[in-house]
Amino acid sequence: MDVGRHPNIRLLAYSEVEKVEGELGDFKVTVRKKARYVDESKCTGCGACAEKCPTAISDEYNLGLANAKAIYRYFAQGIPSTYTINTNFCRNFQAGKKCGVCAKVCQAGAIDYKQQDQVLEVEAGAVILATGYELFDARRIPEYGYGRLPNVVTALEFERFLSASGPTHGHVYRPTDLALKESLPELEKSRQKAFKALEKFEKQFEKTSDEFYPLYEAGELKGEDYEKWAEQVRAFRDLDGEVQARKEKVASLESAHRLAFIQCVGSRDIRFNRYCSGFCCMHAIKEAIIAREHDPQAQVYIIGMDIRAVGKGFEEYRNRGAKESHIEYVRSRVAEITEDKDHSPVIWYEDTKERVVKSLPVDLVILSTACEPSPATRILADIIGLEVNDFGFYATDPSQPLDTSRPGIFVCGCAQSPMDIPESVAQASSAAARAAQVLSGSGTLRLAS
Amino acid sequence: MKLSKEQIDYCMECGVCTGSCPISRLIPTFSPRQMIKRALMDLDETVVKGRELWACLTCARCSTRCPVQIDFPEFARIYRGRARKEGNLPQLSHHGTLQAVTALQTRPVRQNRTEWARETGKFASTGDYFFFVGCAPFFDAAIKFGDTSMDTVKSVLKLVNRMGIEPVISDDECCCGHDALWSGDEATFRKLVRKNLDAISGSGAKTVFFSCPEGYATFKHHVPQYFGELPFEVLHITEFLARELPGSGVKFAPASNGDGVVTYQDPCRLGRKAGIYEPPRDLLKLVPGLQIEEMGLNRENAVCCGTSAWMECSNCSKTMQTERLLEALETGAKTLITACPKCRIHLTCAQSNTDLHMDVADLYTFILNRIE
Repeated sequence: MDVGRHPNIRLLAYSEVEKVEGELGDFKVTVRKKARYVDESKCTGCGACAEKCPTAISDEYNLGLANAKAIYRYFAQGIPSTYTINTNFCRNFQAGKKCGVCAKVCQAGAIDYKQQDQVLEVEAGAVILATGYELFDARRIPEYGYGRLPNVVTALEFERFLSASGPTHGHVYRPTDLALKESLPELEKSRQKAFKALEKFEKQFEKTSDEFYPLYEAGELKGEDYEKWAEQVRAFRDLDGEVQARKEKVASLESAHRLAFIQCVGSRDIRFNRYCSGFCCMHAIKEAIIAREHDPQAQVYIIGMDIRAVGKGFEEYRNRGAKESHIEYVRSRVAEITEDKDHSPVIWYEDTKERVVKSLPVDLVILSTACEPSPATRILADIIGLEVNDFGFYATDPSQPLDTSRPGIFVCGCAQSPMDIPESVAQASSAAARAAQVLSGSGTLRLAS
Repeated sequence: MKLSKEQIDYCMECGVCTGSCPISRLIPTFSPRQMIKRALMDLDETVVKGRELWACLTCARCSTRCPVQIDFPEFARIYRGRARKEGNLPQLSHHGTLQAVTALQTRPVRQNRTEWARETGKFASTGDYFFFVGCAPFFDAAIKFGDTSMDTVKSVLKLVNRMGIEPVISDDECCCGHDALWSGDEATFRKLVRKNLDAISGSGAKTVFFSCPEGYATFKHHVPQYFGELPFEVLHITEFLARELPGSGVKFAPASNGDGVVTYQDPCRLGRKAGIYEPPRDLLKLVPGLQIEEMGLNRENAVCCGTSAWMECSNCSKTMQTERLLEALETGAKTLITACPKCRIHLTCAQSNTDLHMDVADLYTFILNRIE
């Protein structure tokens, strides 16, 4: 928010760096400001366009767990709060289709289907890279079944489940239960269709189906039409029974009570990333505590080799999780996850304290996936010509953790190495100070005209 | 095997190995993690003298998942060599008949290993391709298996003949040494490999193909480890067929209702050891209308057929096999297909004295029988 409002900060969101030329004190950065097809200076972020947009697409911010519209805002608190059209889905950009609904409803007249990408040149004394991170793709560990077992989710997906603005409004339902719930309207539609077909017969023969069927069964009514009607009666009864059964099932659905976090998924593993991602222990505890706040019946297990509570007050937080939220910490690394009959995941592991192999059936498994360099880190390293370390993060010297291999180009946050939010924020401030320091020190600071 | 410094430093005693081990679930005292730890703590002797060393199936479920990539099967293999020297020997299945046959083959014996091929199809004594038949056709010496133990190799010969290949099949071939190797009997392994290398080089073959996953894994990984780079290509026949059959003009009859649904057992040596998961499935997919229903534990997560190297067949084996068969039946499949003759023997044998009935079929015969 502060950044968005600051008079000396110009924010170029939805943009990509194409070129970085020059040197410390005199960089020229070429930026492609991608067309949003919405005029940033006019859009008030009211959301009328998205409300009326007829095209639903997968909501990336909610990791595909919910739907967004073809004109969207990545998330509600994003800066700037300008909407953007996804041209891959928007009808106006798909051949042979017409729409224009968003332009019609936009009172600010901000929609501009003809907007073009803008290529800007930015002069800068120093550059700070904050390209962030990406999560490890848990599919790479087939024994955990992510992508195959529906009730195995990542911690980020779980974070969305817990969020009041998330796809389940803060209730933790299992993906299979959600799918069951969502399948109900479709089934009811089929039932309604079958019902209408029955009505046709009833009108034609002036009898209710309930009167007709016993007579048909008794063999009193014969003929092709009656056979068709009887068939329709059976089809309707089957569907009706199915609807009732599924309704009851949906009504009896409870939120997921037994939750298990699996730590170090892709971290501390020389097959993938040998480093510790640093933040996963704490976010697992945080999510566990929140889950328990939402549901006092929740029983949460955190299964890992150890809990790395490094930081002021972190160890106390860990203990509070055990004491107040009844988190059970299990010392092991999970070997594999199988599935029970009702899609309940079963966790197999050796309890290394008791030296026994155990299986633990739960409602939902949450994978704490590793922190990996974002694709943008690699792309920018190539564009600018920067060194990266063995793991793909920007290479820095331990005594100069903000300096990349090129003078005047600095780095902060997970672009440098895995770290949590407070550390990233502190490093961002440090990088800004570092940039100011070299510029004022070298006397090469050129004031923007 | 020496554990590298990195592995020693990095082993976090996480328990993935023991948690993954099908034996540990049945014998709680068996723990790969604790065996590794004992070896690291210079308590080797307890590992070398213990019975549990022989219980490991070397199925590689643990090692493929180990975050430090400790190769536990390799560890067991090396320690078995030491155990053998100290008189700690495994319990042999079938009264040691198969080990005796192997021992005989290390000597200059005259064998008839081609008669079946003469009756089946075309083969040669020299040529580009060498078909390493393995011992599958000769299992009937020890195992009552009706008259089908020859099926695998007969079908393979017929299939490659259809592809226009007349491979070398040799009377001088002998046991590949897989079982000797995994029983810690390195001397026997070396003798057998030398004889086989002579037989192969005498044929002038550029490519040696295997239908048996054990022979394949042995030549792919262990023979080079002991004898250096091989002067020929080592190929598994599923890779070859999956590549060549689709474009060969061979047509398959659609699956009929009776055999429309099948499931597939990944052999350890072909799957986890060699990473060959898709070619056998690709072959099955050539049969129109055939439905492959996967077991929950498939590919990397597949479970071993219960014993290996003809030793230590125990209650543990029977339990594992029964569980695997139940899993296979749960898929709704009528037929369990495997690409390993030993999987086939073990999972068929396990059905005796049970209520479980499932046809355990050999991949190549299944495919061959469906060619129009």
